[in-house]
Amino acid sequence: MTDIEPLNTEGKKVKITQKVKEVIVKETVNKEVAKRKKWAKFGAEKNAAPGPDFRTTQVGEPVYLRLGTAWKALEKEEEEKSAQEAAKTNTYQRIKCRTCGGAHYTAKCPHKETLGGDPAIGGGASGSPAPEDSGASGAAGASASAAAAGKYVPLHIRNRAAGIEPEKRGDRDDSNTLRVSQLNEIVTEQMIRNELFANFGPLARVNIVRNRETGRSKGLAFVQFHTESAAQRAMEALNGRGYHSLILQVEFSKPKR
Amino acid sequence: MRPLLLKGHERSLTQVKYNREGDLIFTVAKDKEASVWYSFNGERLGTFSGHGGTIWSIDVDQKSELLLTGSADFSVKLWNVSNGENVFTWSCVSPVRRVEFNPSNDKFLAVMDAVMGHKGDISVFNINKETPTKQDEEPILVIPTYEGLERVSVAGFSYLGKYIIAGHQDGTVSKYDAKTGEFINSVKVHEGLVTDLQFSEDRTYFITSSKDKSSKILDVDNLNILKKFESDSPLNSAAITPLKNFVVLGGGQEARDVTTTAANQGKFEARFYHKIFEDEIGRVKGHFGPLNYIAIHPKGTGYASGGEDGYVRVHNFDKSYFDFKYDVEITAEAAAASKENNQD
Repeated sequence: MTDIEPLNTEGKKVKITQKVKEVIVKETVNKEVAKRKKWAKFGAEKNAAPGPDFRTTQVGEPVYLRLGTAWKALEKEEEEKSAQEAAKTNTYQRIKCRTCGGAHYTAKCPHKETLGGDPAIGGGASGSPAPEDSGASGAAGASASAAAAGKYVPLHIRNRAAGIEPEKRGDRDDSNTLRVSQLNEIVTEQMIRNELFANFGPLARVNIVRNRETGRSKGLAFVQFHTESAAQRAMEALNGRGYHSLILQVEFSKPKR
Repeated sequence: MRPLLLKGHERSLTQVKYNREGDLIFTVAKDKEASVWYSFNGERLGTFSGHGGTIWSIDVDQKSELLLTGSADFSVKLWNVSNGENVFTWSCVSPVRRVEFNPSNDKFLAVMDAVMGHKGDISVFNINKETPTKQDEEPILVIPTYEGLERVSVAGFSYLGKYIIAGHQDGTVSKYDAKTGEFINSVKVHEGLVTDLQFSEDRTYFITSSKDKSSKILDVDNLNILKKFESDSPLNSAAITPLKNFVVLGGGQEARDVTTTAANQGKFEARFYHKIFEDEIGRVKGHFGPLNYIAIHPKGTGYASGGEDGYVRVHNFDKSYFDFKYDVEITAEAAAASKENNQD
C-alpha cells in the first residue's frame, strides 16, 4: 500500500495508515449434514451436474404470511384495493400509444412519422398542442394567397409580400438554426413544418436546399427556431430518426465564416 | 418469503417428509418414484425407482440411512438413502396406505388398505438394521380393524413406541398397545375420514385432520380432545410447529369438485392457527390444487407442502413469523420481567 504516497497542499508527503480488522465468522454445521451434502446423485439425477436443476427446482413468486387475528380484515382490504385499481385501469384507458401516450394503437399514431417510437418525447408532444400552421404564415401562406389571386408572384418577392424582409445572408443569426440532412427528396417545406417539426414549437424559417436548374431537393434543409432551447429539443428528438425511409441527421447549422 | 418449487413428480403428491436434521426432504407422489431433495437449495439428490404403482407413504429413520415406502402395488420397500438402492421388499396383502418407523427405528408399521375382501389392518414388521438386505418377511404383529370400526386410514407410534394410534375412515381415533396389539380405547373425533395424524415433537399428543373440515389435538394417554380447529374446506393434512405454538392445516376443495366451482373458491392455502387460542392467524397461498400433505421443518424454521398440482413448495419463515405474539403474551411477558426486576 505504500507505492503511491499522496502529497498534501504544500507538496509534502503524507503518511496514511490503514487499519484492517479481520472478523472470522464461524458457522457450525452438523457433521452428518455436511457428509450428506457430499453424496453423489443417484436415480434419475445420476451424473447430473452439481447444483439445482432449473427443470425440477424453481424459485417461486414471493408469498406473504401476515400473522394476526385480524388477518381476514387485512386481506379483504387488500383485495378490495386491488379490485378498485383494476377497475380504474379498465375504465380509463385500455389502449395506450407507446409513441404519444394517446388512446390509440401505436401503429395508428398520428405522430408516428415524426416521433417514431420514442416514449420520452411522446409525453412532451401530447402535452403541448401541435402549433399547426401558426408559424407557417411565411412563404407557404403568401404563396397560397398569391395562388388564390391567380397571379404569379416571383419567388424572391413572395416573402416580401408577406411582410418579411429577406435578410442578407451575411448578417443572419444562425444560432437557432438546425441543419437537417439526409432528407428524402419528396419532403417539402410544408411537410417539415406540419409533420416533422410540428411538435417542437413555432418555426421561424424553413428552407430546403434545391438544385437551381431542376428544382429537386438536395436532401438538405435549414430550420430556424425562435429559441435555442426549442432547437436543442428538436435536435435531440429527431437526430438519427427515420423519416420517409431515410435516417435524418440533425445538427446545429454552423455559420459560414 | 420466496418458496422453492420442486417439480420432480408428474402426478399429485401424497406425502412429504423432512429427515431429523431437516436437511433432506423426501417426497412421494402418485407416480412410481420417490425423490429426495436438499432442503436448503431445492436440489434433487436422487430418485428411488422400483415401485409399480402409486406410492402412498414414505418415512425415513433417525440417522437418514434407511427409507421406507408403502405403495399401492401391494408392497413396502426398504431403501438405502445414500445411493437409492432398494435393499428389501415386503409383499403385502393389500395396498399400503401409510408406513412409519417407531421412535427407536427397530420396527415399522404399515397400514393395509381394505380392498378386495381384505378388511384392512395395521401390520408391524421388525427391521434388521445390521444387514438391511436380510429381513423377516412376516409381520410380528397384525392388528386387524377393530370390530365396529371402519378401515384404518392413518396410524403412528406414540412416545417411546408404546402405543399405536390409528385414525379411521369413519372419523374414529383408536389406541392399541404396540407390543401386544391389544385394543385399548377409541374415541369418535370426526364426522368424516381421518386424513392425517401427526405427532408433536415429544409424541405425547397429536393432531388429526379430517374431511369434515376440522382438525383436533388429542393427548395420547387419554385420547381427550385438547384443541379444536375449524376450517371452511376439507382438510388433508395437519402439522404442529415446533418453536412456535402454531399448527398448520392444509387441504382445499376436493380435486373432483374443482371444475364445478369458481377458481378463487378453491381455498388451496396453508392455514396457520394458534395452537393455544385456536384462532386462524394467517394463510399462505401458492398451490393451485388442494394441499395433500404438510411437513414442518424439525427445527420449526420452515415448512414444505405437497399439492394435488404436483408441486412441492418449500418455505422458510420470515422474521415476522418468529416475532409474532399475541397482545396477552406480550403483556404477560412484560409483567413477568418487571416482577423479576422487583425481586432483585
